[in-house]
Amino acid sequence: MGRTPDLKRKRPISNSNSPSLTDSERVLYDLIKSKQDMGIWTRDMKRETNLQDHVVTKSLKSLQAKKLIKEVVNVQNKLKKHYLAVEFEPSKELTGGAWYVEGNLDTEFIKQLKELCSRHVFKMKVATTDGITESIRRSGVINVECTTQQIAEILRVLVLDNDIMEVRSTEVGEFASIPLGTVCYKCSGKGGPTGVSKTGAMVSIPCGVCPRISECTPDGIISPRTCLYFTKWLDF
Amino acid sequence: MVAQYGIKLAVSIISSHFGDLVAKVCECLLRKGTLSLGDLVRYNQLQSNQVKNCLLVLIQHNCVQAFSVQKDGAFGEAPKVVTQYTVLFGNILHRLRFSKFMAIVSKEFDKECEELLEALLQHGRLTLEQILQRAQSISKQNDWSNAVQDALRESFVKLVNARYVERCPDPEPFMAPPDEEDAPKRSAKAAKLAKKTAQTLEQRAVAAAVPLESKRFAIMIDTGTDVGGEETPSQSLGEKRKYRELEMDRETMVNISEKEVLWRANFEAFIRRLRHKACVVNVRARLDDGAGTVLNAMLEATKKAESKVKTENSVPLSMDTILEEVMKSEEGRTMTLERVRGALSQLGCHSSTRVAEDSYSVDLRSIIESAQNEEVESIIMKRYGGDAYRIFRLLSKTDRLVETDNISDTTFVEKKETVKILYNLWKENFLHMERITSHGSKQSEFLLWKVNKNSVWENTFDEMCHAALNLSQRMAYELEKEHEILQLPREKRVGQRFERIRKVKTLLESSLMKLDDGLMLFHDF
Repeated sequence: MGRTPDLKRKRPISNSNSPSLTDSERVLYDLIKSKQDMGIWTRDMKRETNLQDHVVTKSLKSLQAKKLIKEVVNVQNKLKKHYLAVEFEPSKELTGGAWYVEGNLDTEFIKQLKELCSRHVFKMKVATTDGITESIRRSGVINVECTTQQIAEILRVLVLDNDIMEVRSTEVGEFASIPLGTVCYKCSGKGGPTGVSKTGAMVSIPCGVCPRISECTPDGIISPRTCLYFTKWLDF
Repeated sequence: MVAQYGIKLAVSIISSHFGDLVAKVCECLLRKGTLSLGDLVRYNQLQSNQVKNCLLVLIQHNCVQAFSVQKDGAFGEAPKVVTQYTVLFGNILHRLRFSKFMAIVSKEFDKECEELLEALLQHGRLTLEQILQRAQSISKQNDWSNAVQDALRESFVKLVNARYVERCPDPEPFMAPPDEEDAPKRSAKAAKLAKKTAQTLEQRAVAAAVPLESKRFAIMIDTGTDVGGEETPSQSLGEKRKYRELEMDRETMVNISEKEVLWRANFEAFIRRLRHKACVVNVRARLDDGAGTVLNAMLEATKKAESKVKTENSVPLSMDTILEEVMKSEEGRTMTLERVRGALSQLGCHSSTRVAEDSYSVDLRSIIESAQNEEVESIIMKRYGGDAYRIFRLLSKTDRLVETDNISDTTFVEKKETVKILYNLWKENFLHMERITSHGSKQSEFLLWKVNKNSVWENTFDEMCHAALNLSQRMAYELEKEHEILQLPREKRVGQRFERIRKVKTLLESSLMKLDDGLMLFHDF
């Protein structure tokens, strides 16, 4: 919605720049611009404009050279080249959102943020999302501005990793300063920020993680009597 | 229906305890369901009295329950009553955990009680007279005085009062055919509901065989003083001893009851205690020691009030009672009121879930569920790694269908990698997948994923049975291999080889016990 006035203002400017465009370039340019921040895939361009392959390729090159359009990586499919008019920033659907850099998941950044968040939760014992965001902001460890939304996403992943626990404030004891019912986070289990992984009954024996368990039978070629994993496990 | 490896495990237990013939009959019952003696003879191609003896062994050890049903006769013949035999899968698996049952009794009572229980576990069913005879035959002391006998009787009463020993069930309850005239009157909806909640014939038979609560733990014993029988007022009659006749009656009745009433270990009570323990262990690890101590105290105080194994919530207790119970234990003595309140709130007893004013009850079902989740999640973690662990936890927590891209965004796993992991988990039956095709839009196919807990839990139980079977087979193999040196007299059992087999045995045994905790978690709790 907010973009419409923007568009109207820009159109005359770009029009004034355009006399040097060929017909096919003009058609393509208008099409690309009409797609706004979603951009358009080369194959779709060819279909919609009915232009021949080599014409499209040539025109795209020249439009790029004139700095009217740009190429972006589509996170859904890196082989699909998408083109956008220069005045637009690629949409979240194309880039994958704040966590993606050039179509790849920014794992390094995520890892850093995760460590930072779990350290803060550990330090604060019990904390709300806002509290953690504020604490990270004040500590000034990272130079990028992180929104509360981003921190919330990181916290959710930490919960899935079982590094921290999601609990609701009861206003009793450690929750005294937090209003009733507010979602809070605390470290799970007895471990520190890294957490101790609990060992289940199955995973502490070879069969629990055995890749051949489905082929293992009492009298088969693979059997508990002849099992090498067992032999290794029982090697004293 | 029992899982494939569940059957194999049960058969291997029976085979190692009672031999192959009994195991054959047992396997037939496990695979084909309830059968009559005639059917069993036919399927197994054994002689009738062989099968009969096998069944007697299985009944003696509480692994089979008989019941009779009325079958329509052939044309012109009157309907006849047929005896059916149904196998009790759960009770067979309980044989793995006898040592755990004994440990409970030895901790709560004393050595005498443990020996009494051992007798019952070894022999399945015994009368009090038989128990006493057995004790006499193994007692090394020469004095088999009345005092010793009375002490034994007293121990026995203790076990019965604690519900750890019960009267044996009815040997052959008669199951009346369902009232057919009643059926059509009910609406279709009600009938459907009834079908859903209705127990199978076997379940009804097992339930019908259990003596009434008042009779199940009723005991008459002549030890000079009157003991037991809290619930049976008829026994207190003897207390006054005003009338000679009554006295005489009592003596004869005691005599008869000692000779004729069969007793057995009450597996249900033991499993209930083990379930409590599993809850406390889980809470201790997941929350903290304080919460574990408080839960333990609450369950300890109400252990007699629970009547079934899978209780949803603990028996409600007031704050005063909880405090009193907490202070009984060593680690609870240091806890303040504030600390106990905090622990209760950690356990999920806040004002909203209070049953009544100032009474607290813990949701045991949810504790068991999180223990089950943890076990499955640990398997995923070890087999498929951290990303898969995160994805599985997401799906298990949301408990509805989630689309691939959505999963990838929430868990911070690259799209391609996400698809790969999801596919692997689906292939191994950890996930359920649905395809949705939309026409006209750019992307035509979406994949939706979900954790189907029931089937995943069933598979996990089956895999655990497989693993337990493997552990016991490997154990048998290792012992067989070192057969020679294990035959040596004690003083010669030294050296590296012996040291190794000792370690192997310990590791395999302890792993099997730990795995058995898992079996109970998924089958009994």
